[in-house]
Amino acid sequence: MNETALKELLYKMADDQLIIGHRNSEWTGMGPLLEEDIAFSSMAQDKVGQSHALYQMLHSLGESEPDTVAFTRNAEQFHNCTLTELPNGEYDFSLIRHFLFDTAEAIRFELLTESSYAPLAQLAKKIQGEIRYHTMHANAWIKQLGSATEESVNRLQTSLEKALPYALGIFEPSPYEQELIAEGIFAGEEVLKEKWISRITEILSQTSLQLPDLSTLKPEFGGRTGQHTEHLQPLVEEMSEVFRIDPGAEW
Amino acid sequence: MESLDPRVNRLDLKGFQGNLTRKAPLDQFGTFEVFIQMKEGKPYQHEGIVHAPNEEMAFIFAKEQFSRRSTCSGLFVVETRNVFVTDFTEGEDTIYNYISDEFPKEGDKEEYEFFHLMKRGKQHQHVGSVEARTPQEALALAKPAFINEKPVFNAWVVKTSDILFTSEEDKHIWDTLPEKKFRDASDYKASDKIKAFKERNAG
Amino acid sequence: MYGGGNTFESAKFEGLENEDPQKLAEFEARIERGEKIEPNDWMPQMYKKQLIRMIEQHAHSEIIGALPEGTWITRAPGFKRKLALMAKVQDEVGHAQLLYSAAETLGKSREQMIDDLIEGKSKYSNIFNYPAFTWADSCFISWLVDAGAIVNQLANARGSYGPYCRALDRICAEESFHLKYGHHCVIHMATGTPKQRQMMQEAIDRWWGPMMHFFGPPDKVSVHTEVLMKWKVKMASNDECRNQFLDMYVPKIWELGFTIPDPNLKKNPETKKWEYTEPDWDEFKRVINGDGPCNAERLAVRRVAEERGKWVRQALLTPKTKYVTPLA
Repeated sequence: MNETALKELLYKMADDQLIIGHRNSEWTGMGPLLEEDIAFSSMAQDKVGQSHALYQMLHSLGESEPDTVAFTRNAEQFHNCTLTELPNGEYDFSLIRHFLFDTAEAIRFELLTESSYAPLAQLAKKIQGEIRYHTMHANAWIKQLGSATEESVNRLQTSLEKALPYALGIFEPSPYEQELIAEGIFAGEEVLKEKWISRITEILSQTSLQLPDLSTLKPEFGGRTGQHTEHLQPLVEEMSEVFRIDPGAEW
Repeated sequence: MESLDPRVNRLDLKGFQGNLTRKAPLDQFGTFEVFIQMKEGKPYQHEGIVHAPNEEMAFIFAKEQFSRRSTCSGLFVVETRNVFVTDFTEGEDTIYNYISDEFPKEGDKEEYEFFHLMKRGKQHQHVGSVEARTPQEALALAKPAFINEKPVFNAWVVKTSDILFTSEEDKHIWDTLPEKKFRDASDYKASDKIKAFKERNAG
Repeated sequence: MYGGGNTFESAKFEGLENEDPQKLAEFEARIERGEKIEPNDWMPQMYKKQLIRMIEQHAHSEIIGALPEGTWITRAPGFKRKLALMAKVQDEVGHAQLLYSAAETLGKSREQMIDDLIEGKSKYSNIFNYPAFTWADSCFISWLVDAGAIVNQLANARGSYGPYCRALDRICAEESFHLKYGHHCVIHMATGTPKQRQMMQEAIDRWWGPMMHFFGPPDKVSVHTEVLMKWKVKMASNDECRNQFLDMYVPKIWELGFTIPDPNLKKNPETKKWEYTEPDWDEFKRVINGDGPCNAERLAVRRVAEERGKWVRQALLTPKTKYVTPLA
């Protein structure tokens, strides 16, 4: 098995889950209503938990311990897509990102249930229930707010347009696409993207939101190769502020 | 004022000052009662309420508020105003002593779910369902089965069609719950560390 | 998380002369027998008022209590701590939800309660008006403030009002994780590097005063408190709770080699009671009346959260469902 290709895939997935989980956790205690505050926090925990499982998988392939990997790298060593690192903004942006990202994440894990790399296929199967809840949550919110008041529709539409180029960055091709596909590790970003487009289109068509012509948008690539927005380095510094007081200490 | 919480600094508290309007009175969502089944085969039990704009959201909210710990195999929600509630009794007095055998006889038959309170201070639990035309008829039909049994202090009757149940395909949303050890006290054992610390200091 | 103390003092105590004597006698007999009062049961106005006040303050303490620890939510060191702190702060929000619901069964809507909180009309536990300067402060809160809250909540869970007791049973079960997690964190700080020990000792020094305040000033014995105790609204005196806390946790702090900033703190072997320097009750009053280090920030954050969430709530509001009082 092409380990370099596999590791590249695992790193970008793990980093995606960690960074979006971290961002979503910023809402805890400050959400728009108590019940939603709780639901959003649970999903953030799921994502951080999933990132840990993926770093653990990398550790078994010879990489450093999950804590070391997550808490001691600098921004340019992260492979998350830039969508995940953008600041939370208002709830409309957080929800749109949640919808766009989680739809892709759900399809990615669905595809990975067939992966020739057994530990990954196993993980993908195990967390299907968690992911099902995440997309259930995202779809319900987008469908409801996307066809509610003028304000909610406008807010979501603006956020959708802002987020889409970054969301297309999720599918930035890996240098190892062919190897991953050939070895049956992963069906590839292009397949994922096509399925994603049809699924978000299906949900958005049930709302008053307009999906722009995606072919006219320039995807925000770079995240997968460590070229991030200015928002990631401060996030990483904040996340590891205590850890870095003494990375050798047990906290 | 700089906060110690970086999240709070990002909220830009100053931008909001003086810009507060009191909410319209009671712009609050509806009330939904939440019932949980911990394991297959166990009765559904009342766990509390959520406020939500509709039953789909109520289900989504209830799932994390009431089943993020331990185990869960099913959940349902029903809007509070769709629950028919009897009076309360106490001591050895069952509520079925007060159920009239007379009831309105119009309407079509529908299924009704029953929930009993067997001990004051505890939760209502699901006991079964009957087909009836009205909640009063449902209670009257249930009466012979319960009147000579352990006292029931309060009963709730809900039309089955008013309830949003977990669908079969959604049942695996709880699959990984038992693995979320970070929410479990048993994952935080450190007595070895204390022991080693004491020994080090004594020696 | 909730202490005691300030709940009852300023509520005007109204006489019972307007209550139906027969119903009052039945009500008191039911409590005497150890049975719970449920929302539909007859209850004296004073009972209802005091319960709303107490449960509401408890709920506010949970939602505000999410903020001092939340200070460190994005900075928790390592996966284990990150996941646990996220889950713990989430629990505090969840506890607020449970408690607001319990108070709602008595006829005050959640929205009215939250309005009263952000307009500064309601109180919450004083300790959350203090800042969490370092990670060690969040460890102190997770372990010892939660420990204090559990002492108080376990007492209240034996009270007479069914919905409040059910909420507390659930809360206490969830908080067993908080307590263990908090202790686990403090143990790691204690047995870690000199820097970690120093951080932890400084946090203990900072938080000891507010912790002693947490249970409230010594109770004045009045007809009022006697009635509330008879009705099982107030279950233990502030001093009893404080003493129980000291008894359970001072030895655990000492065994980790930390000092407590009170030279007079010791257990009297004869009375079996703890002796200590009276905390500064003037400071307690000042902070409760709004002049603490973080009062303004805590309320501002809640206001902004409410304000920023307004469009979401308004968008979803529909006449198809209706707000009603919860059943239980």
